[in-house]
Amino acid sequence: MTSEGPLCQDVTVKLENGLHLVPCSRITEFVRDFPGTISIRLDDQTVDAKSIFDLLTLRAPFGTILTLEVSGPGAADLIKGLVALFECNFEPD
Amino acid sequence: MHTKPGIAVSSGVAIGQAFVLGVEDFRIPKRFVSVDAVDAEIVRFRCALENVCREIADNEKLASDQLGKQYGAIFAAHQQLARDPKLQGEVEALIRDKNYSPEFALSRVLGQYAQVLQNLGDLYKADRAIDLFDLEKRLLAYLLGERREELSHLTVPVIVLAHDLTPSETATLPRKFVLGFATEVGGYTSHTAILAGALEIPAVVAVGDIVANVSGGDIVILDGIHGRVIVDPDEETLADYREWAQRARKVAQRLVSFRSFPSETMDHVRVQLMGNIEFPEEAAHCRELGADGIGLYRTEFLYLESNREQTEEEHYEAYRKVVSAFPDQPVVIRTLDLGSDKVPSAMPQFYPQGANPELGLRSIRLSLADLSQFKTQLRAILRVALLGDVRVMFPLISSLIELRQAKSTLSDVMEDLEDQGVAFSRDVQVGMMVEVPSVPLLAADFAREVDFFSIGTNDLIQYTLAVDRSNPAVAKFYNSGDPAILRMIQMVADAGKKHGVPVTVCGQMSSDPKFVPLLLGLGLRQLSATPHVIPELKETVRHLTIPQAEAIAEQAMKLELARDVETFLREELKKLCPDLAT
Repeated sequence: MTSEGPLCQDVTVKLENGLHLVPCSRITEFVRDFPGTISIRLDDQTVDAKSIFDLLTLRAPFGTILTLEVSGPGAADLIKGLVALFECNFEPD
Repeated sequence: MHTKPGIAVSSGVAIGQAFVLGVEDFRIPKRFVSVDAVDAEIVRFRCALENVCREIADNEKLASDQLGKQYGAIFAAHQQLARDPKLQGEVEALIRDKNYSPEFALSRVLGQYAQVLQNLGDLYKADRAIDLFDLEKRLLAYLLGERREELSHLTVPVIVLAHDLTPSETATLPRKFVLGFATEVGGYTSHTAILAGALEIPAVVAVGDIVANVSGGDIVILDGIHGRVIVDPDEETLADYREWAQRARKVAQRLVSFRSFPSETMDHVRVQLMGNIEFPEEAAHCRELGADGIGLYRTEFLYLESNREQTEEEHYEAYRKVVSAFPDQPVVIRTLDLGSDKVPSAMPQFYPQGANPELGLRSIRLSLADLSQFKTQLRAILRVALLGDVRVMFPLISSLIELRQAKSTLSDVMEDLEDQGVAFSRDVQVGMMVEVPSVPLLAADFAREVDFFSIGTNDLIQYTLAVDRSNPAVAKFYNSGDPAILRMIQMVADAGKKHGVPVTVCGQMSSDPKFVPLLLGLGLRQLSATPHVIPELKETVRHLTIPQAEAIAEQAMKLELARDVETFLREELKKLCPDLAT
């Protein structure tokens, strides 16, 4: 399997209450089985997207711009999926 | 030797070694584990995690199905907290590298996370810390819960000392090895106490700090008569108690030998003595003790024991067991009395407590708010009624409109069963509990709309005297003998007599032999009590005549203070049945 990345992309938090517990859990659920690494960067803070505890420490109210950073096999698909999650405000369907 | 006073909730005396159960909340029993236990402790931690994940998954499904997807999402998030790779990694590192116990390690790691979140400052982020505390509590419950299972591995008889026992823990105590128990908290009518009576083991509650001050193996006397726990007793005290216990055993044996004698007064008036039960298995035991039926079957224990909603078949099966023990005698099934202190531990989110749970959404109000659960139960009751003299009883009725709503739901269920061609009995007596002061005041109006009354003195006292029965600070104001209570019972008995509606007393009051002459004197002919006291109640009935009982009641009604009423009744019992007086 070829290794990809690191791929980076910016996303905007469009949740009224910011990136709170439930959306954080949607992220960890989504990336759980991904074999590579995923971090989310906000200014000089970088957290591991597989750990909900880490994600919770991000101060990300409405309008915050976060940078997704993914590397590993299937990174392109994964980042696409993550962006879609942010786009639909963490409410797929 | 030191003596701790408490509240006696189940009579008898037990002498034996102490067995101290850990405290569930945030008190960690042991901070370190030995080096060779590290692997086993890690396995124990992983098992607890697995169990919590499963429990959360169950809750998620329940919440999504019943409340909507957005509520399920909260549990999905908790699931992610529990499954966090960092959490597991850090806890296991502390166990392995520092030999912390899993409980201690977990508390440390989650405590640090919570602090980080709290320091972030935003209001909503502090809320996240609360979710962590919830996770910690669940995990600790499982970790310590495993310790609690040691109870099922007992090989010698012990006296269990605990901060508190849940009703289901009490129900599953191995009777062979548990001589009795004492808890730091609780009250006379807490459900744990009621169960102790059902299990027939001596118990004392509300003894205050004891878990930390007693070591496993200390000799303890549990005095369920006077309500005290004596730790490390001297020889003289031990000898006194041993002698007393022997005498009490003899009396009990003699009483049980009377079980085939009818329960009637010396002037041949029949008094029906029925049993209060929580579990179907108790019905057969009631029969052995000579009960005339089941006067109160508390069905909510089906939920409390299994921790989830019950299907119609599960209800039916439980009821069928009870009816089969009493095919020709009354079986009064009380509909769910959930809420307040009776909330299944796995589903607190379905029972919003409010600031004042005893005055909140509980009991019949909860049933009428969730008709599907209520109807499921009513269907099972109507079906099982084909097998015997089954009666349905609604708890905590406070107004006529509530009673009418409950009855009209029952009619709807009959129609549904009819439409679906399901066999059931229409011929079911419908009664209500008298637990709220509004009912005695309007007893005549209620009497026109029910087939029977059953006075639940526990709640009636609580609501009349405004005493939280589980609060030790006010427990002394909770008195069965209060003149206001006697007056209420009289009002209901009189209305019942006038309208031909039978009245039963089914609270803890009717389980106390000293109240028997008073209750018969007020005109009651049916009592429903904790099964193990039925032989004592029968003994009391058989030593009385109705004119005697009426004279005792008349005298008691003239007294002004609860204390005087109880002293008077105790003295009268001593004259009638010296063996039973304590």
